[in-house]
Amino acid sequence: MSPAIIVEHVSKEFILRHNRAMGLKTRFLGIFHKNKREKREHFLALDDVSFTVEQGEALGLLGHNGSGKSTLLQIIAGILQPSKGRVITNGRVAPLIQLGVGFNSELTGYENIFLNASLYGFLNKDIRKRVKDIIEFSELEHFIDTPLKNYSSGMQMRLGFAVAVNLQPDILLADEILAVGDQAFQDKCLDKIAEMRGNGMSLILVSHAKSQVKQFCNAYLSLDKGHIIKKGPIETLVAEQEL
Amino acid sequence: MPNPITATLRPYWQYRDLVRNLVIKDLKVRYQGAILGFFWSLGNPLALILLYDFVFTHVFRSNLPNYILYLVIGVLHYNLFAQAVSQSCESLTSASGLVQKIYFPRILVPTSSLLFTLALWVIAILILVVLYPFLGGIYHWGLLLYPLALGLYIAFIWGIVLAFSVLQVELRDLKHMVDIAVMFGFWFTPIGYNINVLKPTTREIISLNPLTQFMDLFHALLYSGTLPALNHVLIACAWTIGTVSVGMVLFRRKARHLVEDL
Repeated sequence: MSPAIIVEHVSKEFILRHNRAMGLKTRFLGIFHKNKREKREHFLALDDVSFTVEQGEALGLLGHNGSGKSTLLQIIAGILQPSKGRVITNGRVAPLIQLGVGFNSELTGYENIFLNASLYGFLNKDIRKRVKDIIEFSELEHFIDTPLKNYSSGMQMRLGFAVAVNLQPDILLADEILAVGDQAFQDKCLDKIAEMRGNGMSLILVSHAKSQVKQFCNAYLSLDKGHIIKKGPIETLVAEQEL
Repeated sequence: MPNPITATLRPYWQYRDLVRNLVIKDLKVRYQGAILGFFWSLGNPLALILLYDFVFTHVFRSNLPNYILYLVIGVLHYNLFAQAVSQSCESLTSASGLVQKIYFPRILVPTSSLLFTLALWVIAILILVVLYPFLGGIYHWGLLLYPLALGLYIAFIWGIVLAFSVLQVELRDLKHMVDIAVMFGFWFTPIGYNINVLKPTTREIISLNPLTQFMDLFHALLYSGTLPALNHVLIACAWTIGTVSVGMVLFRRKARHLVEDL
């Protein structure tokens, strides 16, 4: 069985543009004023990162703010292109970098399900087959035909989560989104993810909470300033903290 | 062995319902709460036509027969260009919320913006279909070629739309410049006047405008009831190949790093 995700020597360099000229005016002023000119600074967000995630495995990505974990997730999701190296994924990838991407507040919950799911590459006829499960999971039956602007933020997140998990992805990329709704709904989400993991789904979970990673993952990877500083099975992380 | 063309198109084809849903969303949101709804997309071109008709028949006299038909054809087709190009500038920048959070073929964003404009335009073109016989339009076999001419025109616009959508990301003034250019473009295209009434030098300049060639196709088919001259068709094709290839190349080059620049 081929691994779900292979990350090979991935580096990502960003160009930080200070005083970035977005319009003609700033470009013109830059000719005369040195301090208004664009300054470029190269910034290495990821430096030669390699790892694999086997099918059914759950990897926790740990690290401080700015350690490169979200960048790594965006590269695996295909949103960013790596500067060097490559990423191979096997199966349908569902990035949950934000819940409810593309939701429009003027449209009803029902219409938004279709809009959101089609962003993941689903055809409307396939969404129609799942829409009942999605609505049921979100527990929003009474509100589904009202515009999203009448939803609370918790309700919107519930709907977004319900769409993402009911699309049966092979690989779920989650960026700290497992705190959805109230306690009861959170438990339901965690159960759902456990169930999907049981069915062979791979998971990458970005978090800075070690407890959450311990709860979900069987391996971890710790990033700092774009380098992998530690990785291994989850038991080693537990042992370390108990010391 | 899989056909290489279908192999390159398959990833886009898989997202066809995304384009559909985006266009439907825009249509729904646009006329939300307006009592007259979609009829507003008729209002704008209708008002323009009445205005120009007044100006060109009562203020500056034009001696073209069936002048309103001539004008309606020009105004409607120019409107498609003007609205599509102006909207395309902000298609990518306003979709940054989508583009930064999930991967899908980026080219679908400006494309669905064009299709949205086109959907509204189809409603507006109904004016022409209904009024055609009353304005002196001629039914002839050449009309069957109209969809081809329109397809060519849409492809020409699509190339510009692709280019402008990525250029706007780096140069945020573009939209304002385009809006002004579109205003000028109206008078530099034979819409309210016939190109043959111009002085030879002016005519040469106006002929350099690609829209002049397209207007000639539409006027020949819909107004004169003849087939367009072959050289006009060829020039229009050349312009289309030009904008589509420039648009595609620019888009492919810029799309890779789009997320970082938005």
